[in-house]
Amino acid sequence: MMKQRLLIIGALILLLAIIGYMVVDLFFTGRDKRENLYDYRLSELRQTDSTPVAYREILHFTPGLSDLHGIAVDDSDRIYVTGSSSLEIYTPDGNLMLAFSLPDPAYCLTVAPGGDLLLGMEDHLEILSPEGELISRWKPEGEHVFLTSVVTNGKDIFIADAGEKNVSRYNWEGVLLNRIGDKDSLQGIPGWVIPSGYFDLGLGRDDELWVVNPGRHQLEAFRPDGSLISIWGESSMDVEGFCGCCNPTHFALLSDGSFVTGEKGIERVKIYRPSGEFNCLVAAPDQFDEGTRGLDLAVDSKDRILVLDPSRNQVRIFVYKDENDENR
Amino acid sequence: MEENSQGKRVDRRVFLHTGVQLAFVAGLGGLTVLVARRAGGEGYVWQLDPAKCTQCGRCATSCVKTPSAVKCVHVYAMCGYCDLCGGYFVPDTKILDTAAEHQLCPTKAIKRTFIEDPFFQYTIDEDLCIGCGKCVKGCHAFGNGSLQLQVRQNLCDNCNECAVARNCPSGAYTRVPADKPYLLNEPGTGNGPPQKTEV
Repeated sequence: MMKQRLLIIGALILLLAIIGYMVVDLFFTGRDKRENLYDYRLSELRQTDSTPVAYREILHFTPGLSDLHGIAVDDSDRIYVTGSSSLEIYTPDGNLMLAFSLPDPAYCLTVAPGGDLLLGMEDHLEILSPEGELISRWKPEGEHVFLTSVVTNGKDIFIADAGEKNVSRYNWEGVLLNRIGDKDSLQGIPGWVIPSGYFDLGLGRDDELWVVNPGRHQLEAFRPDGSLISIWGESSMDVEGFCGCCNPTHFALLSDGSFVTGEKGIERVKIYRPSGEFNCLVAAPDQFDEGTRGLDLAVDSKDRILVLDPSRNQVRIFVYKDENDENR
Repeated sequence: MEENSQGKRVDRRVFLHTGVQLAFVAGLGGLTVLVARRAGGEGYVWQLDPAKCTQCGRCATSCVKTPSAVKCVHVYAMCGYCDLCGGYFVPDTKILDTAAEHQLCPTKAIKRTFIEDPFFQYTIDEDLCIGCGKCVKGCHAFGNGSLQLQVRQNLCDNCNECAVARNCPSGAYTRVPADKPYLLNEPGTGNGPPQKTEV
């Protein structure tokens, strides 16, 4: 009799425990607090980065331009910014030195070793003197030319054309010398995948040409004759990789050969070692407005990283936090 | 005989004649307004402007139709045909395949087809699409914005007071002429620099 009573009490306790668990499970746990279950919150992706930010912003200034497109620095660390049909030149501290209007918007620019300015104006290239006088102007081959990057080693001019989906080497008179990076299975060249108007170039320490292959999330290095040197990069939403259709959108090189990369989608600026391993963050996603695109980059002689932020219409300058940095 | 306000006596015949005239004019006016309103209602339909849409997800739940008359539409001319498609894959996926757990779409309404290395085509199965806009948001953030939400006119009841428009937080819904019922972003209208690229 006693045993039966204990069994009933035990069963009742078990039943109450099960009911209690069901109530908690149904009404108090696992409920999505979002008003709409189909709401896809990208802001949560932007907050996933716990990677330490190794750089801090020391300065920003607002150019007198709208629709910022490109940034470059020269040997004296002067800062060149292009935007809506004009170009402005600033001191390293962000004080305006010179501004002149352009006939068309320049979507990319570089400063040649002698100081001449090379401007990619959508379908043609303009070469200006340091004072802004037109030296020459020529149009690369192709019907759908859209220039997104230009670099020079002083002898050759390399142009990335997102419209024609090619990278070309020209001389200063505009004569095509050779194409670079077109698909070649025998040489192991994968070929360009250019889903949108982001296609960036940079010159390495040995004057090798680095090119972003944005659709493959890779950076590829070539000799001027077009022979492949190396490839690195991986597709991933994680901080170590590149995500989306076309990342990195822009990059620049530090003096030690490391890469500074700018991305869209998950807006961030990162540093990769010369071997292609992820190193650190320069700026995390929460330091940019959501939806920011076109984070063009430049590096000056002191390895300060200059970020063009079209959303805030600013040039933002970042420096490495050293061990004595109180903000580290 | 009756007296008007000025004290003049009004003939009953004149009074009735005037009354019939006024009733006829009022009826004609009312009919004109009714016809005009009806004609206006049939000449315009509801549509959402992709440029204003924030992909909040309410199109899936607010529409009186089940599933919603709002569907994802693919503008192929804008698509990058990406392998790692932000509109197709969940954010943290490591394996780019068609496994259900890797897909962002809650109803698996997007079909991924290999074209050639490294290009993939994405097509929408509108029978499965519920118009939640998750793929649209992913594509807009990480890609070119080729996936866009639109009210499918063959499914829409064209309610006088559209429930989705009433609940839209960004005011993206508008009335458009029935002979031009779709509002799609075209290549080069995204947030990035102008693009001429078409795959």
